[in-house]
Amino acid sequence: MKKIILIASLLTGSLFAQVKGDIEVPYISYQIKMGKGFDSVQANCLMCHSFGYILNQGPQSKLFWDKKIDKMVEEFKAPITKEDHKIIAEYLFKHYGNGKLK
Amino acid sequence: MKRRDFLKTSIVASAAVMGTSSVLSANETHQPNDRRKVSNMAFPEKRPLITYSDRPPLLESPRSTFARGITENDEFFVRWHLPDIPTHIDLDKFSIKINGMVKKELEVTVAELKNDFEQVEVTAVVQCGGNSRSAFTPTPGGVQWGSGAMGCAKWKGVRLSDLLERAGLQKGAHWIGFNGEEKAAYYKTPNFVRELELSELDDHVIVAYEMNGEDLPYLNGFPLRLIIPGYYSDSWVKMLSNITVTDKYKSLFFMDKAYRVPDNETEGETPDHLVKKTKPITHMNVKSVIGYPENGMKIYHNSHIVVRGVAFDGGHGIDKVYVSVDGGKSWDRAELKRENGRYAYTEFRYTYKPTKYGKLQFMAKAVNYLGDEQPFAKDIPWNRGGYKYNGIDEVTVEVI
Repeated sequence: MKKIILIASLLTGSLFAQVKGDIEVPYISYQIKMGKGFDSVQANCLMCHSFGYILNQGPQSKLFWDKKIDKMVEEFKAPITKEDHKIIAEYLFKHYGNGKLK
Repeated sequence: MKRRDFLKTSIVASAAVMGTSSVLSANETHQPNDRRKVSNMAFPEKRPLITYSDRPPLLESPRSTFARGITENDEFFVRWHLPDIPTHIDLDKFSIKINGMVKKELEVTVAELKNDFEQVEVTAVVQCGGNSRSAFTPTPGGVQWGSGAMGCAKWKGVRLSDLLERAGLQKGAHWIGFNGEEKAAYYKTPNFVRELELSELDDHVIVAYEMNGEDLPYLNGFPLRLIIPGYYSDSWVKMLSNITVTDKYKSLFFMDKAYRVPDNETEGETPDHLVKKTKPITHMNVKSVIGYPENGMKIYHNSHIVVRGVAFDGGHGIDKVYVSVDGGKSWDRAELKRENGRYAYTEFRYTYKPTKYGKLQFMAKAVNYLGDEQPFAKDIPWNRGGYKYNGIDEVTVEVI
């Protein structure tokens, strides 16, 4: 009986098993532009995602960034104040905007 | 360098970072961004990949991975939605819960999955619905993926239908929700739950614990992941820990707002006239990508080059792949290798002897058994989410 159990566990085991212990996801320091409003960006956005997530959206309109922040507040329930909303939208449009209001 | 030249250079450089190019004509879909290089930082169990974000991790496979029918686990793309991913899972404690409108609630450990159910395998392509999003103009919101938010692996696990049968469905059961272990930073943020109709789930849907003969990598969903062959990956829930059966559809952000396209024939719209009625992206359309050669490579005159790539669709299977070397005026059949079934990559191979010097462009176009064929990029209409790009792939080399 012991032998059968051993064979069964061998058959079901993977060829290569998972890493032992825990993994560590590296931290990447993204080169994000400094400027007016950056403190609000850092305080609000970084709670949920890296700057990479912002940089890799492509250059976008003022309306896009405004709506993106709306989505973070309404859908993802991020506690961003109205004041910060305005500051962040202006910062994003200035540094990662496409020059179009909408 | 004159100041004006310097400004010009820096604008071009920043355009490359942002994933757009100023030479593109307005509102025309084009080739996805192929200029990104793998980073110099490796994530756990991964080789260095094209890296968009560390939290949540967003990693893209390089073009070279499309020269093979199976994508290696350590080169497989990674896409999570929420920032907090468990970095350790104790298999002695982990279990998947099956509840809701079932006759008997279940808690099944990974060991029980491996021992108490029939073990099945399926080779299937997993592709993000937003793969190749960088092809669209104006730039839709979302990660500006090149072509590498996709891969193909051999998945091993147990049938979802066997698990549901063990639990027993109650009368009126209609929807099934899947939830994984990724967590948001805020308690109120909606979980990344996916809901599918029971009628959508056939015997090919499995709960997998193994990928290409190894445990799933953490970043690809260790220890369990839902596999829905033929579907875009938004519903292939990773670190799957809960399956809930219901009679009614629950309104969910990730179902109602994300991963949807216009519900019309072309699935297209314009930024000024967004279509009101949308539908989930579900089945993948026909697509092929060249894995070798790569853009910018140099090839010797009169040498034989073997073009390699992969083609797939939502499960009807690839009938033909064509290659063009004259900008799509004429097309030649490529050889196909169909080894892993209709949900897997079909490999294609095309030998060519360049007899002219200078730029040489290869195009690849797949046709599935329904007769659906890939359109030229410029003929693909825009949609706000930048989903489902499947344009004819182009690679330009230089013959020297």
